[in-house]
Amino acid sequence: MQKENSHIMRIGPTLPATQPRRAAGAALMAALGLAASACAGGGTTAAASSASGPPAPSVTGPVTITIADAYTSTSSLGKTFDKVISAFEAKYPDITVKSVPEANYGTLETKLKAEVAAGQAPTIGQGYESFADQLEQSGKLVPISTLAGTKTPAELSGFYAGVQKDLYLPDGTLAMWPIGKSLQVIFYNSTMLSSDGLSAATDWNTFATDLEAASKGGVTGITIDPSAQTSGEEWLEELAASNGTPAYAADGTPQFTSSAMVKALEYLQNLKSKGALATGTNYPGETALGGRKGLADISSSAGYYYEDEAVGGEFKLTTTAVPQTDMMAGGNFFVLSSATSQQQAAAWDFLQFVTTPAEQAVWSSGTGYLPVTAQALTQSTMSPYLARNPWVSQIATGLDTAITDPPQEWVDDCGTVLASALQAGLSGTNATSALNVAQTACLQKKQADS
Amino acid sequence: MAETVAPAAGVSQDTGTAARRGRRPRGTRDFRSTPLGWLYSAPAVLIFAGFVIVPTFYTFYVSLWHWNVLNPAMSTYKGLGNYRDLLTDVDPTFTQTLVNSLYFTLGMIVFGTGVSLGLALLLMRGGKAMGAARVMIYLPHATPLIATSIIWVWIFNPQFGFANYLLHLLHLPALQWTQSQSTAMPSVILFSVWHEVGFTTLVFLGGLAVISEETGEAARVDGCGPWREFWYVTWPQLRPVTAFIVVISSITSLQAFTQFYQLTSGGGPNNATTTLSYLVYKEGIVLGDTGYGAALAVVLFLTTVLFTLVRRRTAVGGGDLTA
Repeated sequence: MQKENSHIMRIGPTLPATQPRRAAGAALMAALGLAASACAGGGTTAAASSASGPPAPSVTGPVTITIADAYTSTSSLGKTFDKVISAFEAKYPDITVKSVPEANYGTLETKLKAEVAAGQAPTIGQGYESFADQLEQSGKLVPISTLAGTKTPAELSGFYAGVQKDLYLPDGTLAMWPIGKSLQVIFYNSTMLSSDGLSAATDWNTFATDLEAASKGGVTGITIDPSAQTSGEEWLEELAASNGTPAYAADGTPQFTSSAMVKALEYLQNLKSKGALATGTNYPGETALGGRKGLADISSSAGYYYEDEAVGGEFKLTTTAVPQTDMMAGGNFFVLSSATSQQQAAAWDFLQFVTTPAEQAVWSSGTGYLPVTAQALTQSTMSPYLARNPWVSQIATGLDTAITDPPQEWVDDCGTVLASALQAGLSGTNATSALNVAQTACLQKKQADS
Repeated sequence: MAETVAPAAGVSQDTGTAARRGRRPRGTRDFRSTPLGWLYSAPAVLIFAGFVIVPTFYTFYVSLWHWNVLNPAMSTYKGLGNYRDLLTDVDPTFTQTLVNSLYFTLGMIVFGTGVSLGLALLLMRGGKAMGAARVMIYLPHATPLIATSIIWVWIFNPQFGFANYLLHLLHLPALQWTQSQSTAMPSVILFSVWHEVGFTTLVFLGGLAVISEETGEAARVDGCGPWREFWYVTWPQLRPVTAFIVVISSITSLQAFTQFYQLTSGGGPNNATTTLSYLVYKEGIVLGDTGYGAALAVVLFLTTVLFTLVRRRTAVGGGDLTA
């Protein structure tokens, strides 16, 4: 990239600039500026869909829908998603579903923004709650309540309580629909745990004791990635919530300077000072666990397949729920407003299909995501998977009480400043000072976005 | 009789006095300013205008708005509000970001220029292994920056990385490399110099190759040692090349992004490696604050222009090889 930029910067004017040419150039720029100003201007609001009313009309003929998702075709996620799509198309022969995957949610969101801006949006997109809020505020999203004709579709009551809550935006709009969720779990090296005479923790204090005890002979209890939207930052939020005050109030106001959050950061600082916590990038906890240089890793339950691969059968891997408050993750689906009415109807058929207990069993057992409905756990197709992974049914009930970040747009910005506070704290800055800076920065972001 | 038609494609056809002096005869129009010259230049000019000039002006325009990338019609005019936010933001502060950019740029200029000049002087000595040495030195520069950045993430891994293994062999304490606020930027500089030194060494080699041997021999005959010969004979003649490398290094360093994105994702520990160019990406693309990102891009542009102007003003003798 440096070389490309240097070639561009070498191009310079070699022709003599005359007055007429300069005037023509200025006129061209002015014209371009006027044309560009036609692209912006305050106040014209695109028509927002109504909250509820008659449901979307049924599909009456062949229709194709596209889904922009984060399930790359070569992964277990992509392969399972293709299976779900095939089953849907078999049931609904008039509907063709095309999946357009991206490598991760960050890339997916960037691409979706470009597509929406260009008027080339897919029928269904996938992403996090704050992105759905941006789409809804910009009039680019069709609420689920519009498609279903009600704010409380029948399927909703079958979802875990935390999943239900996650689908609504701050203004009460039912805007999103799930496919699968994950919780933070702790992966342990059971062999190391028992050889050190330790046991899986049921509270954070015991967890700290376990990590400190295991940190010897080249082993560091746990390694985390302290960047934004990673397990390190999520762990900080879980600790704060466990201490009594979550990172955000319900309206998205940050609570970074609460005693609960300060105590949470000091907990991690204490672990670091005792050599029981290290930092890294690119799933460092998984790497350390697999290399037998770590006792435990806190990560998404959906990452079990990768943890298991990293371990490679060298030792017994145990999975437990995190003590106390857990955070839920997993992008939701939403329908974009550029879809035709037939595409919207087909999209709603697809969304309903993927959350049936039978398909949830297929999705969960194929990907490691937790099903959004408890009814999936009793499906016969789920039994072999649960027999191999008994921890799944143990932790799935955590979806009732798990927390997520509020869906406001500035919360993503605030995640980065909270991560900076975490990094500053682990680098030696006083916890209160680091969190004060984060609080101020987050309030600035909230004010700018409000 | 001498030809009086306009020379084709800027090549003079006249073989008279003016051609011997290297000047065009009076009255002959420069082909490049003829309509045909413009026609030949048009594709390149249009591409440059479309992909560089117009986006630059559009960025200025977007920086004045709270830009809604999903629905531009809902954007709200902020005037200089994004620039005010830039100066008042606390995480990271504008000062910290600017200092990080200048830290990296200065590191690349001083360290990179010094290392490449030293390597070029060594390679000029010749020898059997010099051919292989030149290839080895240039090879990193030929590799894709993103691919080598990924590899160096693992080299810098504090627990499993090759870098700490080397330190261990030398009985030196392990470092946190990109995981520590104090060592993150030096780590990125180290990688960047490794990647770029091949190119700048080649440029220095070219400069050294055209330096006359006679002045050096005369200095040695007069009893000059190697250091005095370098400082009083070689170095003054290398000034134009050095100026070129400094300008190019400073411009590309201010705009560097790939290694920051890959080596220190998220901007480094506590924003230790958040430079202006990285912040443009983070604010404009990741966080979707397009107007604010545009304001940052304008500031980066002005900083780069300032660097170039200062360099041109302070050039001492030897001229300036940039346009």
